[in-house]
Amino acid sequence: MSELSSAAAAANVSGAAPPEAPKLPPRQWAKENLFSSPFSSFLTIATSMVLLVISRALLGFIFNPIRQWNSTATNMQLFFTRAYPDEQYVRVWSSLAAIIILTSVSMAVWRAGSSIPLSRLGRKLLAGAVLLVLLALLAPFSASATIQWTLVAVCVAAIGEGIRRSAGKGEDERSVSSLTVLVVTLAGLVASLWVVPFGHHTYIPSRQPRVLAESGTVALTTKLPWTIMLLIAVAAYLVGRVIRERLPLNPTRVTLLVLWLLAPPVLIYLVLRDPSFDMGHVVSTDLPIFAAYAVGGSLLLSWLTRPSTGEAGRIVAVVILIAGFCTFLTPMRMVVRLDMLLLAVFALAAPTFAGGPRNRKRYVLGWLGVLGVMSWLITAINTPSTVSVPGGFFIGGFSITLMVAVLTLVLSFPLGIALALARTSTMPIFRLLATWFIEFVRGVPLITILIFFSIMVPLFLPRGMHLGEVAAVVIGYVLFSAAYLAENVRGGLQSVTRGQHEAAEAVGMTTAQKTLFIVLPQGLRVAIPPLVGHCIGVFKETSLLAIIGVFDVLYIGRIVIPGQTEFMGSTKENLLFVSVIYWVFAYQMSKASQRLEERTGLGER
Amino acid sequence: MTTAPTTRERVSQRVPLWRDVIVLKWVTQVALLLVVLGTMWFLASQAGDNLRARNINTEFDFLERPVDIQISEGIDTHPDTGGRALWAAMVNTLRLSISGIFFASILGVVVGLARLSDNWIVRRIATGWVEVLRNVPLLVQMVLIYSALTALPRVGLDTGPVNGWLHISNKGISMPRVFIADGFYQWAVVVLVGVLVAHFVRRHRQAVQDETGAHTSPTLWALGTVAVFGLIGLFIHPIFSWLGPVFDGVADLLGSLPNAVPQVLLAAIVVGLAAIWIHRFISSRRSALGHLSISDDDCFRIAFTAVASLAVVALIARWTGFSAWTLNSGQDLFAVMADKFDVDGAARPFDAMRPDIIQKGRFPNYGTNGLSMSLGFASVFFAVVFYTSAFIGENVRGGILAVPKGQTEAAKAVGLGRGQIIRHVVLPQALRVILPPTGNQYLNLTKNTSLAVAVGMSDMVQVGTTVFNQTGMTLPVVAIWMLFYLSCSLTISVIVNWFNVRMRLVER
Amino acid sequence: MTDTTPTEPDGGQTRDLSAARDMIVCENVSKWYGDFQALEQVSATIKEQEVVVVLGPSGSGKSTWIRCINHLEVHQEGRIIVDDVELTNDLRNIEQVRSEVGMVFQQFNLFPHLTVRDNVTLAPIWVRKKPRAEAEAEATALLERVGIPEQADKYPGQLSGGQQQRVAIARALAMEPKIMLFDEPTSALDPEMIKEVLDVMKTLALSGMTMMVVTHEMGFAKEVADRIIFMEGGQIVEQGTPQHFFENPTEDRTKLFLSQIL
Repeated sequence: MSELSSAAAAANVSGAAPPEAPKLPPRQWAKENLFSSPFSSFLTIATSMVLLVISRALLGFIFNPIRQWNSTATNMQLFFTRAYPDEQYVRVWSSLAAIIILTSVSMAVWRAGSSIPLSRLGRKLLAGAVLLVLLALLAPFSASATIQWTLVAVCVAAIGEGIRRSAGKGEDERSVSSLTVLVVTLAGLVASLWVVPFGHHTYIPSRQPRVLAESGTVALTTKLPWTIMLLIAVAAYLVGRVIRERLPLNPTRVTLLVLWLLAPPVLIYLVLRDPSFDMGHVVSTDLPIFAAYAVGGSLLLSWLTRPSTGEAGRIVAVVILIAGFCTFLTPMRMVVRLDMLLLAVFALAAPTFAGGPRNRKRYVLGWLGVLGVMSWLITAINTPSTVSVPGGFFIGGFSITLMVAVLTLVLSFPLGIALALARTSTMPIFRLLATWFIEFVRGVPLITILIFFSIMVPLFLPRGMHLGEVAAVVIGYVLFSAAYLAENVRGGLQSVTRGQHEAAEAVGMTTAQKTLFIVLPQGLRVAIPPLVGHCIGVFKETSLLAIIGVFDVLYIGRIVIPGQTEFMGSTKENLLFVSVIYWVFAYQMSKASQRLEERTGLGER
Repeated sequence: MTTAPTTRERVSQRVPLWRDVIVLKWVTQVALLLVVLGTMWFLASQAGDNLRARNINTEFDFLERPVDIQISEGIDTHPDTGGRALWAAMVNTLRLSISGIFFASILGVVVGLARLSDNWIVRRIATGWVEVLRNVPLLVQMVLIYSALTALPRVGLDTGPVNGWLHISNKGISMPRVFIADGFYQWAVVVLVGVLVAHFVRRHRQAVQDETGAHTSPTLWALGTVAVFGLIGLFIHPIFSWLGPVFDGVADLLGSLPNAVPQVLLAAIVVGLAAIWIHRFISSRRSALGHLSISDDDCFRIAFTAVASLAVVALIARWTGFSAWTLNSGQDLFAVMADKFDVDGAARPFDAMRPDIIQKGRFPNYGTNGLSMSLGFASVFFAVVFYTSAFIGENVRGGILAVPKGQTEAAKAVGLGRGQIIRHVVLPQALRVILPPTGNQYLNLTKNTSLAVAVGMSDMVQVGTTVFNQTGMTLPVVAIWMLFYLSCSLTISVIVNWFNVRMRLVER
Repeated sequence: MTDTTPTEPDGGQTRDLSAARDMIVCENVSKWYGDFQALEQVSATIKEQEVVVVLGPSGSGKSTWIRCINHLEVHQEGRIIVDDVELTNDLRNIEQVRSEVGMVFQQFNLFPHLTVRDNVTLAPIWVRKKPRAEAEAEATALLERVGIPEQADKYPGQLSGGQQQRVAIARALAMEPKIMLFDEPTSALDPEMIKEVLDVMKTLALSGMTMMVVTHEMGFAKEVADRIIFMEGGQIVEQGTPQHFFENPTEDRTKLFLSQIL
């Protein structure tokens, strides 16, 4: 009980943040934070002992010479891309570069990052040095290794103290941008690739797998690309700053968002898959279909978006929708059907965006853009890849983890919003269908849905149609994620007051306009923190791919590598590594979401 | 007050169908319904064709057919039929979930309070615990724990920290077991009587308190009464041995009943329970004026109850074996009960045993004496408890922080002591914030136990997978999974809702 | 300020509006919430350019009535005809009525995620289908008219209550409505801000706008209204000129109300 009371008292004294008292001298700080009462002193001593024992055991485990850490080092490529052919690896690097460029430019345009006071930075480095010393003392090192680690710690401490001294006090306290710290850290890491002898591990998957482990720095094929990536990141950030100053802000941001949206499919198909188009087929079939829809659709939509069109337009849109469904009754190319449905969606939405010539032109351009992307995607999916690897899906490891996570999020986002809108709608059948779907999906574990889809999707398909196992599983992920996402979005939508709905209706907006311009922008803004949480959840849930038997990072770490003759039974090492990968990503995302929450909390609302 | 007739004439009364808001609304909805139903029908017919083409059966008769399944632990390790296998698996899942919820709650509260502690080290450790466990996938943690446990020393008489009492080895964990012995049932009857008496004692004390205003602690008195009865019962329980022959008579009676009786009875009970529940539910949603306001969630619950009860009735009607089994087990139950009461006066209600180690084939393993956890069970259990404790800890922390500072100050101002403040002011308000998200975590924990399939622990999903791999009955097994997990989810949400309502009453 | 010449400079005296056309016609309008009858056989006709103030104790159905006129609430019996368009289930009629009737709410209901300028231009661009440049020019003019041209690029949360309500009036005016409905426009305001909003409303009334105002501001009612309608229990109890209403009301319930409020 006294623990609870002290906790409650602490909560009442400090409010939201735990008390940080940097100004106190060490002795007083220790008295207040470690030995404030007999019980607290007891806790301090007891937990320190336990902590020491546990860290000693953990370090003993990690630095034990019998640990096969070179199983992890050797299989690094397997972990991240599995069987991706070496000669095509430049594609992986270019896709990574594309993401890095986008990230850096976005960071510059959105002014990401904050400033850190130098004194705080110095204190953090000092704390790091203390940890390093503890590590050197606790780990079962040889004497020379202990001395080396201690020396590193002393260097870090010296740098930290130097920074702290130079920080200045009071008014003219100097601070540094968090991005600078990030770049310096990354530069240090990259430089270490060229200097520190991590060892040179390769794995030759021939008939008799051999492991080469040489001393020295890592292979050139690792350190050179990473160096280039760092340079690209810095360069892209500088370009982004120029863009921010020279170009109008809002169009730039919209362009970047569109690029972010387009990046996953484009990278997955253009860079990682690179379809070998049968140009004869493209010219004879795909292009004509695209052209027909582009011309016909543009004319139709430009007529539909005229303010004077009125109800006739709605009737035409419904006719197109029905025609779209009817196309499923007669055999024809899938692309024709999908384009028809897409056109129907655009036609139905047309009255919402009707207006002057500028609006109409924009709407038609939007149609052409979406149609183009979709046609290209469909053609790309239906074309064999130039990367051919014998047996199964060639990519795996962390790449497939990321790919499934991103695809799931991108696809489930619209579905989730639609479900949330249906669930908050005034129309009972919409509401009922959405509620049933959401409650049903949320009531059962993800693994049963994944098993269900990996078995059932092949059965659902008409004869002659095939879908890869990964695609089938992604459908399961998407439905599952959409149900949870819908609940998060619903929370946001419900925070939009009734007055907002009424005000929008009173100025004559249609339901579609009200939803698009008033309800969704406000609702989604409120839902940002739970949505980021949802993204982390989806990322973590991709580990379930291992149960289905997809070669994701967990499957490789748990089954594949410990099965190699050289590294029999190296499960624990590799699982620890997998945990660290997941942790780094998920932790960074959750930190980012906290910062985002603080920023939106401060912003104008 | 009057209307100009000209105006009235100028207004057209007829609304064309395609512009009538209400017609449009309903047409859209029905169209969507048709599209959804059409898609489902299309998929179902495709699946049906494909299933027929591949000779996959969709009957439930596998439940009665023999299967060859080894279950890692639980009430039955070599079940003879598919139904029995799923039953044993279900018990395993429930055992995991319930014990997991219990321990995760305790650990979660500890973590949440530690996050708010005055002590810097404790706070930091708790923060680290939460940040590490929340951000690593549960499955990864589970297999990591599993691989760490498999590296434990081989089982032997002297493995474990406390020799002969607690074994921790590569076969799992085994500890002493307290179990109910022969005299338990007689003792239980004594306690039952005690509970009845306690009820009256409580009522009486409550009446006294209401009348005089003195603190009579009715709950404490009731608990004391039960304890006294339990204690006395340890010595006098044989006085109830006359119940044995009575149960014998009931068992004989049940044996002479035809099969149709339990069938009708079971169906009636199921339908009756569902009807009562729906009725009570609907009346609980009725406002004081008699207006009915039913949300979609409520609709879902009502419809699910109705459908589930009908499904159970259909199962009872079609699967005659079930009612026969019920009848037989009823008969068996009473026979067993008769047996249980037919013991001599010296029998003890409880007994305890230390874990034992026996030779199973070529390897030593735990025997049945101790309370044993297999490796799979242990790794799933620890993983879900640790993982969920991080989330519950955050809920607890948030809940306590959500109580405004002014509340404690006000309580201090009216002269309440520290303990009273926590019990009467902080806790009720914090619990109101903590409970709903924690209920969600309980749901997640239950669903997360399905990851046990990855470490070979025989839960619903693992056994179901084995069953449909052996029999090809994919759809029925999936249907059973869905029914089971949905029932669990609904049960937990009903319980949490009940607590919530109670908390709101306390608050008033 | 672009005031058209008012027909009568002093609104306290009655204008002769009998020749004007009917703007709003309500015939036996009834509405129920469950068993509770919110409106009971409400009948009234509001002429073009007329300013009607609706008074009554809270819960008397005033707000419900004017919200029915904008189809924010749906009446269950009777007819409502706005500018010769009857409010039925006809989609086109509802759209037409809504774009002709402006509404100002007690809680302002500005869109918090848009700047003041976007708040005003949103509906003209998307509902009236005007080009953006034109809509923005009009918005600037309107903001000038309500006296806050300098706040155009701020967000509603940065404005005071009075300023927000004036933006709300500008937003409603941007749709060029023929009728303006005010649902207790000053009830959520601090006393010192009420005047700035009432001033805007007065100029609007003088410019010849047809207005229906639910309010508790008796001064405004006396000064500006052509007619006062007193409601209680969902019924119209009494109506007449301000002079008649405040000086010699006929009904007991009106007298009681006035004695409580004055």
